[in-house]
Amino acid sequence: MNESTLILTLFAAIGLGTPLVFATVGEIITERAGNLNLGVQGMMLVGAVAGFWATFNTENLLMGIIVAMIAGAAMSSIHAFASVTLRVSQIVSGLALTIFGTGLSSFLGEAGSEPLVGNPSKAVFEPILESGLADIPVLGPLVFGHDIMVYVSWLTVAAASFYVFRTRMGLSLRAVGEDPASAESAGVNVARVRYVHIMIGGALAGLGGAYYSLALVPTWQNEPIGQAGWISIALVILASWRPSRALFAAYLFGAAERLGFTLQTLGEPWSNIPSNLLAMLPFLLAIIAMLLLTSGKRAKFLGAPAALGLPYFREQR
Amino acid sequence: MADSTLAVEFRNIDKAFYGVKANDNVDFQLRKGEVHALLGENGAGKSTLCSILAGLYRPDAGEFLFEGQPTVFKTPKDALAAGVGMVYQHFRLVSNLTVAENLALGHPKLGVNISQAELEEDARQLGEEYGLPVDPAARIWQLSVGEQQRVEILKLLYRQAKILILDEPTAVLTPQEAQQLFKTMRQLAAEGRSVIFVSHKLHEVKQVSDRVTVLRDGTTVGGADTADAEPRDLARMMVGRDLELPTRDANPDIGEATLIVDDLRVAGDRGLEAVQGVSFEVHSGEVLGISGVSGNGQRELAYGIVGLRTPTSGTVTLDGEDVTAMNVADKIDRGVAYVPQSRLGMGLAPGLTTEDNLGLKAYRKPPYSNGPMLAASVFKEKGAEWIDRYDIRGVRPGLPIRLLSGGNLQKALLAREVELNPKVLIARSPTRGLDVGATEAVRNLVLAERAKGTAVLLISEDLDELLALSDRVLVLYEGKVAGRMPADEATPERLGLLMAGHKEEAGT
Amino acid sequence: MTTRRIIVEPRGLASLRLTLGIPAASVLLALIVGAIFLALTGNSPWEVYRQMAKTAFGSARGLSETLISATPLILTGVAAAVAFKMLVWNIGAEGQFIMGAVFAAGAGIALGSGTPALIAIPVVILAGGVGGAFWASVSAVPKVYLGVNEIITTLMLNFIALNFMYYLIFGSSSPWRDPEVSQFPSGRPIPDSGRIPEIFGSQRLDYGFFIAVAFAILAWFLISKTRWGFEVRVVGDSSDTARYAGIAVPRKFLGVFLMSGAFAGLAGSLYVAGPVGALDPRSLDLGLGFTGIIVAALARLNPVAVVPVGILMGALNNAGPSLQSIQVPAATVQMLQGAILIFAVAGEFFIANRLRRPEKKPQVAVAAQGGEA
Repeated sequence: MNESTLILTLFAAIGLGTPLVFATVGEIITERAGNLNLGVQGMMLVGAVAGFWATFNTENLLMGIIVAMIAGAAMSSIHAFASVTLRVSQIVSGLALTIFGTGLSSFLGEAGSEPLVGNPSKAVFEPILESGLADIPVLGPLVFGHDIMVYVSWLTVAAASFYVFRTRMGLSLRAVGEDPASAESAGVNVARVRYVHIMIGGALAGLGGAYYSLALVPTWQNEPIGQAGWISIALVILASWRPSRALFAAYLFGAAERLGFTLQTLGEPWSNIPSNLLAMLPFLLAIIAMLLLTSGKRAKFLGAPAALGLPYFREQR
Repeated sequence: MADSTLAVEFRNIDKAFYGVKANDNVDFQLRKGEVHALLGENGAGKSTLCSILAGLYRPDAGEFLFEGQPTVFKTPKDALAAGVGMVYQHFRLVSNLTVAENLALGHPKLGVNISQAELEEDARQLGEEYGLPVDPAARIWQLSVGEQQRVEILKLLYRQAKILILDEPTAVLTPQEAQQLFKTMRQLAAEGRSVIFVSHKLHEVKQVSDRVTVLRDGTTVGGADTADAEPRDLARMMVGRDLELPTRDANPDIGEATLIVDDLRVAGDRGLEAVQGVSFEVHSGEVLGISGVSGNGQRELAYGIVGLRTPTSGTVTLDGEDVTAMNVADKIDRGVAYVPQSRLGMGLAPGLTTEDNLGLKAYRKPPYSNGPMLAASVFKEKGAEWIDRYDIRGVRPGLPIRLLSGGNLQKALLAREVELNPKVLIARSPTRGLDVGATEAVRNLVLAERAKGTAVLLISEDLDELLALSDRVLVLYEGKVAGRMPADEATPERLGLLMAGHKEEAGT
Repeated sequence: MTTRRIIVEPRGLASLRLTLGIPAASVLLALIVGAIFLALTGNSPWEVYRQMAKTAFGSARGLSETLISATPLILTGVAAAVAFKMLVWNIGAEGQFIMGAVFAAGAGIALGSGTPALIAIPVVILAGGVGGAFWASVSAVPKVYLGVNEIITTLMLNFIALNFMYYLIFGSSSPWRDPEVSQFPSGRPIPDSGRIPEIFGSQRLDYGFFIAVAFAILAWFLISKTRWGFEVRVVGDSSDTARYAGIAVPRKFLGVFLMSGAFAGLAGSLYVAGPVGALDPRSLDLGLGFTGIIVAALARLNPVAVVPVGILMGALNNAGPSLQSIQVPAATVQMLQGAILIFAVAGEFFIANRLRRPEKKPQVAVAAQGGEA
């Protein structure tokens, strides 16, 4: 593998990892509030179709992004209502959201007299910042020439990091995820904190979904996101609930996704590896990383929010 | 209506949980600048009343006046904003955050961007001012119970609370630490703040409070200036009848050493050794009481004996047989009964029926099971028999046991353990949180076991209970035996010093 | 005035009417939500639902196809029900189903046509159970002995199993692939001696449906009537209490996990040994594992109730493709199923809790004021 192949692969990995960055940071924020939302796949899919639809009708990418985020947040509010207000199992509620979202996304793509399916997007994210400092060796070609959403994702990571660890709201968020009863008696509104952060997570998942339909696969087809939603849930653990680490975890998975293509370009014997086996790679990677990072005593040092997955009822006795 | 000396007034407050009334027509008045004791037995409704004032629970009905104004505290946040804060029995501190972060949490006046260093400086200054020293950079789980309580009080002072509610604050302290706390309480009252002191201990109430309100069965039964109140009258008001709780008789019929624990060492949760070379014997027909401030190795000691945690070294001998390395099931077979501290956390399966729970220790053998098959009829018959014999109330077919009251849960748990015909009964704080009637029943069951010749190991933080039931007392401090003595020679003061780690002169 | 408007209380025991009524209401509400989406996209909900009912139940053939669709759903439903009840979060029924199919087809092909059906059929069916349990063990063993979160590993293994099946048929010349067909690869047919026979000559329905029902009853029996089942129920309710009672918690957890995987695997074997007859990726990539979760939730995790609910979901699955003939997306069915699950999950709250107004107190009458003092 020569240098330019490597750089091309890494460059592509950043693009393929970008939707994972959004979704993973969103899920980190949700889980920091003590809520596990397994509905990421469903929220991303609904975001993908909603964003595509909005851009299709307005020819405006910003509208697509905004509508996708609203759609994702709306989906997540179903999970918030079920798991926070009704206190049903977060796991089952999240799965329900994914199943419903997957069906809804396909339905909306195919329904109506002029269905979206098969249509190319009326606007697509284009690379920016291509000239200028791109001459810097290695770093230049990697950092410049992406579309604007890649840079937005970097800002999102930085903002999320600052928010979680350096602000008053972030402190409340972490406290709610660790020990909701204590947070509540310190004057934090646990239900509100959970609702807000579940919906932030939903909005970011919707955004990640729209990045597929407006940038990576800009022609509408059913389930254009692969298994990105599920992968994001695994990435949260690999990122040990820190937004900054989500960036690198997502790019690692972007690279794993890209590997098949890269091997094809390298010719024999690399190109002989069956594509079906290569397609397993991201999932295998997730399992191996889980085994390495979370088995036995190591799990304790990862920093999972202590109240993750547990419903909270103030008047529980 | 507008009595300006009143900080808080409750009129006809009602609050029910799962259809059981915890507060029923409660009236209560709190003045500015006083230490006001809320006196009542466990289950009298003190904690519920305080939790309503602190905004944690919302009353079902009644009136609540705050500084003369009808008010609603919908959440603890509302209460804190109005200057009402509470130190709960089970501390409400986020254990993975630092002391300073816990003070800052939920504080409305902090800016968006917070500085750890500034927070820590504030915390340090406040601690010095009120004689409540703690390390502001320490994480909560690194602190002792007494230090955690200081953080709780600092948290309220940091919010400039005008009303501080302390729910049974002395339960986790040694008698000497309690004295220090009383000084802080008087200082707060002298500054014009109001302190609600919840207790069921008359001597503490008499010592520290200005006025006292007595609750019984969820209702206000009386109130007085403390100086005018006769302890005897307060006691009668609190209990409702002249009730003497059962205590051990003077002449134990003590037999052979049934349980011998020798140089036992058991690991704690965080890897450190929690039990560090403890030795004792419990004889047949004897109650050995183990006292100590919570978290000094009591739980691990019990785990080590019943097999829930394998000791790292030392031996446990039961009737001459070395059972140190045996698992829980084998120890159950050999007659080790265990009443854990938190009934629904361990000991009972909350979602299963009472009958299923009563069969939880005997199900492996006939008649409960026959080979791989379970005999449902036996669960039903035995269950009905024991429910009747031990007066377990509120059971309905198919009802999960968690919906029974605390007293009935404990009776069910003890019934099951006692019906094992154990050689050793290990009980941790068996009457904690129970009302008078249930306490009486539980104490009688423990004493009946002693009379039958069972060796009883009673592990409790409640010195009154310990001294009433034990023949001998042993004090645990930091995983070691700090002292041991016959119960007749033990006094709360003497035990308190040992619990706090003060060495006694030789001769014990 | 400090009173509250609505009080939430746990119901100790829900009446039978409620435990049946609320799942039924979830289905109804989901149909209403579906109707709204259908109407918004210019379809007649009435027409669509009528078409679905007609396809699923309107003819002997429709009924036969509905029960065929229900067969694997009953078993993936049982797989989810036994696992979730014990708080084993096995989200991997999908992958275990596929591995069950791989093992069953492999056994059928290996036995060849010379083995008597009386031996071949049970071997093929049980091979699927072994395959499912094996695939579950890949998550279960790290979970039980190392504490590795099973939600993520079972999920990821779904996609690995799927790609593995693609590899067997599309990416290699494995024994599972039909050597006769080279143009468009498909699975090698299982010899007839290993196939579950059809019941009627005229319809495709085979005995697999009844085998699935028998397995569902077996699951119920194991959990409610045996000593092992009692231990498992205690573990599921409180693992600390189980340890306290001397129950070997890790072993029980492992047992439930593998049992769940085995049921999902059996769904795979009944599918390939029944209507499909080969390891055919196009027939197996159906989301049957996830639908099993819906079945289990709507059946309130009761293995026997899984049977009728499985038939209902089978009817929906059967009706889906027919909608395309009236220009309605087949995904309508998936959306409906998702909505049913959401309502069923929310309904749990109303089965477990009672809402009531506080009792009125006549003497209290003070105007409400704001919370800030």
